[in-house]
Amino acid sequence: MEELGGGVDQVRGGAEERRMKMKVMVAIDESDGSFYALNWALDNLFNVMTSTSTIGTSTNENEGMLFLVHVEPIFHNYVYPIGPSGAAFYPASVVVDSVKKGQQERSAALLSRALQICKDKQIKAESVILNGDPREMICQAAEQMQVDLLIMGSRGLGKLQRAFLGSVSDYCAHHAKAPILIVKPPDEHHKKHS
Amino acid sequence: MATSKDESSEKAQPQPVMVVAIDESDHSAYALRWTLDHFFTAGNDSVFKLVLVHARPSATSSVGLAGPGAAEVLPIVDSDLRKIAARVADSAKQLCIKKSVNNVIVEVVEGDPRNVLCDTVDKYHASILVVGSHGYGAIKRAVLGSVSDYCAHHAHCSVMIVKKPKTKH
Repeated sequence: MEELGGGVDQVRGGAEERRMKMKVMVAIDESDGSFYALNWALDNLFNVMTSTSTIGTSTNENEGMLFLVHVEPIFHNYVYPIGPSGAAFYPASVVVDSVKKGQQERSAALLSRALQICKDKQIKAESVILNGDPREMICQAAEQMQVDLLIMGSRGLGKLQRAFLGSVSDYCAHHAKAPILIVKPPDEHHKKHS
Repeated sequence: MATSKDESSEKAQPQPVMVVAIDESDHSAYALRWTLDHFFTAGNDSVFKLVLVHARPSATSSVGLAGPGAAEVLPIVDSDLRKIAARVADSAKQLCIKKSVNNVIVEVVEGDPRNVLCDTVDKYHASILVVGSHGYGAIKRAVLGSVSDYCAHHAHCSVMIVKKPKTKH
């Protein structure tokens, strides 16, 4: 490598470039937990990436890249009637279409809200909408995009918010290949029985 | 909520603390290296204050059943464990210095890793806890127990689990 011959300045310059362009993916859904995670990540992590623009030639734009991913669960194209017949039948395509459209509108609204948050903090972000089972799709997306860090909220089931992770974040913590950061909701009860 | 000394930075808040768990395994060394590469840039004051914590198993828990010779074995085991812990802490500190992160606190605490990590988080009011992961499957996890799993559920701060990528075979 050419760094061996250089002086201190050159090594430092090399180290500056070596600083990772960290690709971060944040999983978004309707829960507050994921928006809290997004805000937390923007506040705490992106400081790291933007605070070093004092040296020399680096431009002001941050080098990190943020991906927002939202997974829509697949709408099953059949419904089970509660009546006596008990057999599944296919609903009219009008119903299917309108449900799908409703879902898409909801996802778009969610992501635009999230993108707005990123824009307010001046962080570049891209959004992705996927269909399928949230657990698998998030892990797959993280792997395909080769993200450096996956950030999730932890919804927690029931009142014991600290003791349980939501099942999606739990699944991803075990199965995602990338490092994963789970952001806990703020402490509501200060006295926690442990 | 004051942590260590305030850095005179633009923000008026105290410096957020990042706790990284280390042990003898490669996985935690990888986690530490990854964290240093991504969060602590060389050559300038980093945003986070770094605390490394190593949970040293206590001698009594390692020896297991108390047999007739346990009393003599314990001091030897204890000093051995101390040496191992010192070596782990030292190599971690060297790694930090190599990446030019100075001002690192290294703690070696005796006890069960799960509790030690959660207590350290509380003590320093950390904002992030970083743990490696052995990548156990479901069965091993149930039998051996998973520290990273426990911490993800019980720590009072955000938890980052860094996995060492498996080499594809």
